[in-house]
Amino acid sequence: MLRGGAAVGALWGASTLAGCAGLTQRVSSTSSGGGDRVTMQVYGTDTETAVYARLCDQFAADRGVTVDLTVVPFADFATGIDAGLLSGTAPDVFRVDYPTMGLYAATGQLLDVTDPLDELAQDVRPALMAAVTYGERRFGIPQHVDTSALVYRPDVLRDAGVGAVPDRPEDAWSWEEFGEVADRLRDSGGDDRSAFAVNWQAAGAFRWLNWLFAAGGHLYTEDLGAAALDDDAGRRALDFTRSFFENGWVPGTTSTKSPTYPDAQFTAGRLAMLCAGNFLVPAFAETIGDRFEYAVTYLPRDERRASELGGNALVATKDSGNPELASELLVHLASPDAMRQFCEASVLLPTRESLASQDLDFVVGGDLMGVYADQVATIEDRDVEDVTTPTFAEVNVDLANELEECFLGGRSTDDTLRAIAEKVTASAALNDGAGS
Amino acid sequence: MTAPVVEPPPPLVGTTGSRGQARVAWAMLAPNLLLLGVFLLGPLVWAFLMAFQEKRSFGGGTWSGLDNFARLLGDDVFWRALLNTAVFTAVTVPVGVLLGLGLALLMDKALPGRGVFRTIVYLPIVISSLVTSLIGLLLFDETVGIVNGVLADLGLGAVSWQSDGTLAMASVVVMTLWSRVGFSMVVYIAALQDVDPQVVEAARVDGATPWQTTRRVVVPLLRPTTFFLVLINLIWSFQVFDVVYVMTNGGPGYSTTMLVTYAYDEGFGPARNFGYGATVGVVLFVITVLLTVLQVRRNTRSEV
Repeated sequence: MLRGGAAVGALWGASTLAGCAGLTQRVSSTSSGGGDRVTMQVYGTDTETAVYARLCDQFAADRGVTVDLTVVPFADFATGIDAGLLSGTAPDVFRVDYPTMGLYAATGQLLDVTDPLDELAQDVRPALMAAVTYGERRFGIPQHVDTSALVYRPDVLRDAGVGAVPDRPEDAWSWEEFGEVADRLRDSGGDDRSAFAVNWQAAGAFRWLNWLFAAGGHLYTEDLGAAALDDDAGRRALDFTRSFFENGWVPGTTSTKSPTYPDAQFTAGRLAMLCAGNFLVPAFAETIGDRFEYAVTYLPRDERRASELGGNALVATKDSGNPELASELLVHLASPDAMRQFCEASVLLPTRESLASQDLDFVVGGDLMGVYADQVATIEDRDVEDVTTPTFAEVNVDLANELEECFLGGRSTDDTLRAIAEKVTASAALNDGAGS
Repeated sequence: MTAPVVEPPPPLVGTTGSRGQARVAWAMLAPNLLLLGVFLLGPLVWAFLMAFQEKRSFGGGTWSGLDNFARLLGDDVFWRALLNTAVFTAVTVPVGVLLGLGLALLMDKALPGRGVFRTIVYLPIVISSLVTSLIGLLLFDETVGIVNGVLADLGLGAVSWQSDGTLAMASVVVMTLWSRVGFSMVVYIAALQDVDPQVVEAARVDGATPWQTTRRVVVPLLRPTTFFLVLINLIWSFQVFDVVYVMTNGGPGYSTTMLVTYAYDEGFGPARNFGYGATVGVVLFVITVLLTVLQVRRNTRSEV
């Protein structure tokens, strides 16, 4: 009887544990494929990940293989990928932002896909292809770009006496004109609304470079061997951007290390304008709805117009369990049809010139995307080189730390530029082999 | 009348039975020892080794002697993080323990709805610290936060919880205390059950006021509990991470950067400088051990 009871207990225990497996078993976010199975890891909005799932299903059905797609939060992706690469369990294909990709490519972690991507390379602007190219070899597909433009509320600007808003690139506000507009908006907004905010929080500190580039400056020297921003252009850019805080144009909570993003303030009606990426257009449509009118115009210009290279690439792991299948998946995702599906649904800008020249049928905000497309066209080759060095991801953190010392900590422009330059130069020694 | 003969206890060593018992003991200990070795001691030794290397995430490390420690000495951010951690610890440990004691004394009495109050105070402990940190962010957000919203409704101006360094630190301290005080309270309540009521009664018969009874009789009897709570809070404060990471990201500037957040940023942030991150971690470990030893010694002396 006892023995029988023990057996029943053991069986119950085993079945209970087995039942729990579905709840407690940790599905590894990174694992390598093999045979006719390929693994892929992405981050992104619900819309983006839904399109990835659809594209992977298409590929799996066409080839008769299995694609295991894992979705992770953006904040966790790099830690997981690092661990996966070090332990040999990285996914075969993964999504990565351009600044982080430099490190993986430079340290030999990625699969060389130069030959399979020949067709794509013919159709993508060299400046954008350079973002995935190291030492003349291509290591991924630049799947899309996104960039910033100035989203604004026409009703608030009208009330503040701002008559005309630039509707042609050549009419973009100069910095001085932008400052005058900000003054008016600050004075009319009272305590409830600030003039504007800039989207340089979290990993977005590199968006400060828009102002540096517009002033005619650059982060690195042309050979990427040292910092180049401690000059007149750097001083002008930093003086102007620190004046955002000194003049009370932007909320104090929108500095480079703020733990929150300013788009929530815009949708809450607390900002008159916002430098915002095009990837926010669907969120604006959903959260603002008909509550107030909003439109988009060009970023202010100085010596030149400038915009940042945002966006993401798709890459394959060098030690992939099935490198052929992984590169085939990349080619599939880079195809004109797949890129069109992805960009139209996610409201992102394609990197293929053949698509960029067409009117894509974006699910929302199609009327806003022309400005963004024009902003992307202002990105120059050297701008791309500045933000895709192997060490740029850590430079990005240094920018966030040092700029905040200037914006909120009261440190002088010269001291801040010197501090950034020292860190950029110190890490530049690790940039050998960067650039296309 | 003769005294009963007492059988001598069996020898503890040198017999087959004791060897068998030792084997069983080791077998029982083995899983825990294995886990401790693999997940605690191994990484600890590894961290010490990496502190003496120039090591990034990919590629092998190279021995760099004391270079990382030399960099640490000249690193303003490290010293700022150390100062912030010391200030944070100096505030959260005594205030957290005292608040816990006060609440325990309050809840130990026949208070109406005592169970409900105890649950409310203890609740932050049983939910994820990440969640309490997110609640803190919701409360103290400078623009759309609840605290500033209430202040605005009362006709008061907004408070710079996120853009003023001192206030940012205050918001982190408040959320930390909120999430910790329940633990201190529960431990103190348990300890109060062990206080001999006759001793308290004797003090009252001798004419001691309630305050004198608490201050001179009850609190000294709680000393072992206080020692435990001070020690555990000390370690928690030196290891503070999630509340800072979520609420302030170490800012504004470096106003709320702590040693652990700095080590994390260096080791696991975009820099992926494992060597330097490990160095900060090693220094944190040494400081925590030193403080613990000092506290143990102090407690031992006072008990003697």
